[in-house]
Amino acid sequence: MVQSAHPPTSRAPAIEVHGLTKQFRRAGQDPLRAVDGLDLTVPAGQIMAFLGPNGAGKTTTLDMVLGLTTPDAGTIRVAGMAPRAAVRAGKVSAVLQSGGLLADLTVVETVRLIASTFDNPRPVGEVVERAGLAELANRRVSKCSGGEQQRLRFAMALLPDPEVLILDEPTAGMDVTARHEFWATMRADAAAGRTVLFATHYLEEADAFAERIVLISAGRVVADGTTSEIRASGAGRTIAVDMPESDRESWIGRVRSLPGVTHVEVRGRRVYIAASDTDSAALALLRDLGARNLEIAAPTLDSAFVALTGEHSAATEPDGESGGETAYAADYVGEVSA
Amino acid sequence: MNPTYFALELKRFFRDYTGVFFIAVLPCFFYVVFGAAQFWSSQSVGRGNVAMYVMISMAAYGAVTATVSIGGSAAMERMQGWGRQLGLTPMRDSMFVATKAVVGVTVALVPIGLIFVIAAFTGARGDLPAWIVGGLVILVGAAVFSVYGLIFGLLFRSESAIGAASGTLVVLAFLGNLFFPLSGTLLTIAKFTPLYGYVSLARRTLTEGYILNGTQNGNLVFEPLWQPILNIVVWTVIFCALAVAAVRYGRRRQ
Repeated sequence: MVQSAHPPTSRAPAIEVHGLTKQFRRAGQDPLRAVDGLDLTVPAGQIMAFLGPNGAGKTTTLDMVLGLTTPDAGTIRVAGMAPRAAVRAGKVSAVLQSGGLLADLTVVETVRLIASTFDNPRPVGEVVERAGLAELANRRVSKCSGGEQQRLRFAMALLPDPEVLILDEPTAGMDVTARHEFWATMRADAAAGRTVLFATHYLEEADAFAERIVLISAGRVVADGTTSEIRASGAGRTIAVDMPESDRESWIGRVRSLPGVTHVEVRGRRVYIAASDTDSAALALLRDLGARNLEIAAPTLDSAFVALTGEHSAATEPDGESGGETAYAADYVGEVSA
Repeated sequence: MNPTYFALELKRFFRDYTGVFFIAVLPCFFYVVFGAAQFWSSQSVGRGNVAMYVMISMAAYGAVTATVSIGGSAAMERMQGWGRQLGLTPMRDSMFVATKAVVGVTVALVPIGLIFVIAAFTGARGDLPAWIVGGLVILVGAAVFSVYGLIFGLLFRSESAIGAASGTLVVLAFLGNLFFPLSGTLLTIAKFTPLYGYVSLARRTLTEGYILNGTQNGNLVFEPLWQPILNIVVWTVIFCALAVAAVRYGRRRQ
């Protein structure tokens, strides 16, 4: 587990989750286990990204941490308290996904309304200023763009001056400029030492903003560490080889049956192989299968994501469109000649 | 109750001109057209006159339009995610319900107050108990109909839900013997519809329990008190049961 860059404090962990489980009933099908025995500890002051494909259980987990949904099993402590108590005490707040605003109120009225529910909120003018909404204060919510509405949600989240701030896909649906502006605002805020936990399916955001990434898939933590640690974990490392001329079909079949091989892609003579243990796969390829010109590629964050979750992340760059190619043909750093 | 929340809710109401028209202006207009402007408005009815009879009916119509609209929008807001936003604050659900209830009652007071004042200046006459009991029954009974609005908001989850709820109120008002006196079979049917007991009870102190039935040669017929009361009790139970079912249905869909 990665330690926070902030100096250690005597404070309770910002978030402590053990054995968290939540199922949803589905008509005519088995229940969906959205969160499946999840364990997670977030030290105070850390900026953590919660990464995973759609449906991995991110929002369900965050809803339970915020006391909006009751877990089927497991325990949650937020700033040392039960979720709903932490919300009432103003220790935790959140920027939720789209929806949930009253369209006929103005920006400043919305903030005032939410401020009225807290005992000692930060001044309305102050949070409006910090969220960069001063010029839009008297605009109707219905006339605000998606990015502006998101900044409004951020302003509301600042009202209790929370120790823990949770952001659920805060930039979903924003254009590039709005995303950059949003993160600039967040960065300024996080410098103050708040614990920030954000869910995203944009790798780029997790990489740029978080000091720790927790990758979840099918309701479980599949990787936990810094970006470079996840890259170095070996997940998503690929082997590229030239295959022998004869009897290609059965050769590929033999490659597929090698222990730990998860994915085989053929492009002409060149074969790209993803494997959990690339060392032993490489040995077998060279010694037993007559492969030539072998290269082992270090994983990108993207290929690690694919290997760990079995799905592609949302593409943020134009060249991300090519999906599989980005994952398997990038970043060759080591070369082993046969 | 949260005063800031209450004040902003009232501001929202007065900002919505369409809502203000249907809740406050239209019932006043109905009173003037069907009550004050008619030549029979000064004819006596029980402890007062026809103008007052129409006044109570139209004020009741305005009041239920108000509470149905507030109840419907409260449910809809929560369904559309505002409930999640409030879930991030210390505000308890009971506080939300209490605040919305006070908003509903306050907004219902707008058509009641307007119509009562206009009526007082345009010939509505009745003794003091008829005014006071009439006004109170309208206000308290209207609260029941906020549950009716709630059901529409819970089931349809869109702005049109409130329009639909208000639209059905017009039909129920006709069927409930509210807009003009029904007779014969229609009057018998009316006694089973939700607005009948409410408006009948609101007018009862004025009419002393007598209702007009056209098939009896325009004679007045006495109606036992248990009839409007049973109507109100049964419909309150039905509305509450439907609202609980709608909440469960909504939760399953989430």
